[in-house]
Amino acid sequence: MFFVFVFIWTFAMIAGITMVWLLGWAIKNGEFQNLRAGARSIFDEEEPEGRVTDYFPGEGPLMRQLEARR
Amino acid sequence: MSATSDSRGEVVSRIEVDRSAEWVVTVYWASALLWLTVATLAGLISSIKLHSPGFLGNIEWLTFGRIRPVHWDTAVYGFGGTAASGTLLWLQARLCQTRIPFPTLLIAGGVVFNVGILLGSIGVLMGKSTGVETLEFPLWAMPLLVIPYVFIVIANFKMYFNRRNAHTYVSQWYLMAVTIWFPVLVLSAEACTNLGAVDGVAQAIANWWYGHNVVGLFATPTGIAAAYYLIPKVIGKPVHSYHLSLLGFWSNAIFYNWAGTHHLTGGPLPAWTITIGVVGSMMMFIPVITIGINHHMTMVGSFHHLKTSPTLRFAVMGSMVYTLSSFQGALESLRSHQEITHFTHYTIGHVHFGMYGFFAPLMFAMMYYAMPRLTGNEWISARLIRIHFWCTLGGMLLYTLAMCYAGIRQGLMMNDPTVPFLNIVKFTIPYLWIRTAAGLILLAGTVAFLINFWRIVQPHRLRFVTPTLMTTERDYDMLLKKEKELSQ
Amino acid sequence: MLLKKLGLSLGVFLTIAASVTGLVIIPNWQFQGHQPMRKADGTQYPLPYFGEQAKGRAVYIDQGCIYCHSQQVRMKGYGADIRRNWGTRRSVPRDYMYHRPHQLGTMRTGPDLASIGHRQPSATWHALHLYDPRITSPGSNMPRFNYLFTEMRDGDALPVGAFPGDVIKIPPQFQNSGITQLVPNERGKALIEYLKALNQSFPLPEAQQ
Repeated sequence: MFFVFVFIWTFAMIAGITMVWLLGWAIKNGEFQNLRAGARSIFDEEEPEGRVTDYFPGEGPLMRQLEARR
Repeated sequence: MSATSDSRGEVVSRIEVDRSAEWVVTVYWASALLWLTVATLAGLISSIKLHSPGFLGNIEWLTFGRIRPVHWDTAVYGFGGTAASGTLLWLQARLCQTRIPFPTLLIAGGVVFNVGILLGSIGVLMGKSTGVETLEFPLWAMPLLVIPYVFIVIANFKMYFNRRNAHTYVSQWYLMAVTIWFPVLVLSAEACTNLGAVDGVAQAIANWWYGHNVVGLFATPTGIAAAYYLIPKVIGKPVHSYHLSLLGFWSNAIFYNWAGTHHLTGGPLPAWTITIGVVGSMMMFIPVITIGINHHMTMVGSFHHLKTSPTLRFAVMGSMVYTLSSFQGALESLRSHQEITHFTHYTIGHVHFGMYGFFAPLMFAMMYYAMPRLTGNEWISARLIRIHFWCTLGGMLLYTLAMCYAGIRQGLMMNDPTVPFLNIVKFTIPYLWIRTAAGLILLAGTVAFLINFWRIVQPHRLRFVTPTLMTTERDYDMLLKKEKELSQ
Repeated sequence: MLLKKLGLSLGVFLTIAASVTGLVIIPNWQFQGHQPMRKADGTQYPLPYFGEQAKGRAVYIDQGCIYCHSQQVRMKGYGADIRRNWGTRRSVPRDYMYHRPHQLGTMRTGPDLASIGHRQPSATWHALHLYDPRITSPGSNMPRFNYLFTEMRDGDALPVGAFPGDVIKIPPQFQNSGITQLVPNERGKALIEYLKALNQSFPLPEAQQ
């Protein structure tokens, strides 16, 4: 029983310290600055904001374009 | 994404990231679908047994009390665990713009994980269940589940430290939190129950603290992470309010894990422990509302894309049900509500609403979006996707409505001592039949998805379709190249 | 400044550490002082399960009874547990001090079993009910546990290890394919012993409040 508590707390402390270290490092890297740009970080030149990236197979607008290329 | 150079001068493009993840993520998601099928079948057998107890009645290892925990455990660990792991690895790789590290080890881990679930389920069917709900797997099966998860945690951190992207996206917050929470959860709960740190009522609290958190701190954050990525990405519009998303994350982290004791309302617990559970549950309105605002407001003006995008359909269904089922869950925790619905089918309805209405659709959305990009193939059939979607939505709604209605009536009758108990049982039977029908609908959807999934991982399918999920010329060129290689 | 930075990061870990402490460890300390009480006849309540009862509890767990039956009586005025005669008083933590694993349960597809031994002290009733629930409870959707019994036709010899007193007659209208009598096997007998021992009728003082 005592052993189990020691185990839980050791494990939890290791997990906690890892998290503290990781997040401390993350904050230092400025993760909380410039949130507006953060929200846009999933877009890039090839898949820019405003481009829809998912269609049912065979039904997207690019189909016609590609057919024409063939 | 423009190709970025890392410190070693390597160029990692989005396509390369996806290629590095192809086998790892496919293995995890394929296992997820197989376990989903197993879980659905086990659920169906359990459901049939409740209205027709003679069904397979003479086989001891298929008795209700054994097949029912196998249903939940294969659903939550088999489907949930592998689907979430695949999601975590792919999403983290993409958002960090790195290759997936040590793919062979991760695939081996996935295999071991599957073996663990298989052995654990067989153990339960043989009668070796520990008797602690959600932790039924015999203790010897647990290392087979925990060790592969450690690989995933390490891979996750490695990707995060090697990330090329300067910013940590909100999805990554949730994914990082899951990797920290889940091992702590499992080990603390096992220690407090099956390893015997505490007995009796304290053990029951530990059990339900875990039972609630496995949904709330494992399935939910993964689902939310998927929604935060997919919805903006598919419609090409950034998240409505990025500030709110961080508030939602922290309030979720703080309040959810206190909510579990509402599963024992009215039980032999000190009143204050239940009050904490109720308070924790009510506070969940904060993250639920912030997350809801974010997901739904992002969608405003883009609902017409639901018609054309399979990913978006599932993602929006998931995020809408997240709001609804969380509201339902918070209200359900109130003592006056629990007086009626506790101990009834209402709870079962709520669980399926959350797991099959919120978590599963978001995992499906993830797969629909990622698989063409991972394999370079196209989904073979739009019709099968539509069947899958309508079966998931219809089956889930039928299930939830039937069970919640039956549960309320059942609870009201149970609180009226003049109604004989067997009359209550007889009252629920027609609704249990409806549940079996709903289960069959869900199974039909799963089979449609399985067929589509089976065919997308076959390389030769490529030449028969016109890729339209691929929206850039460059993706298309890659496909042509691959097609040429295959035809040689 | 450092604290401000760490505050955020400590949050993730503390959230979960705090809840396990608050919800599991503190209540456990609260229960640690619990002692069994002496009954008027000199025996103690509660007692740990041992022998047949402990074996029966293992059968209860292995058959998954918990998925349809709770073992907790709610207090008067909250639900109708006591008015349904599921218990004479509400359940309290002390009732469970020796329960490992706990079997509180959260589902009542069937009735509560916290005091089933008090409500149904008859071994014959339990045997018939487990063999085929429809014999004692028409309309029940409980599965049969016929594999916990040896079925006997008229004139069959007693199974090894069974006594004539163990034989249970099946009511004539439920007799099927010549099977007229039952003998619970080892596991069946243990399960019945355990069910008979489920009894929370002893008036613990804290349950009277």
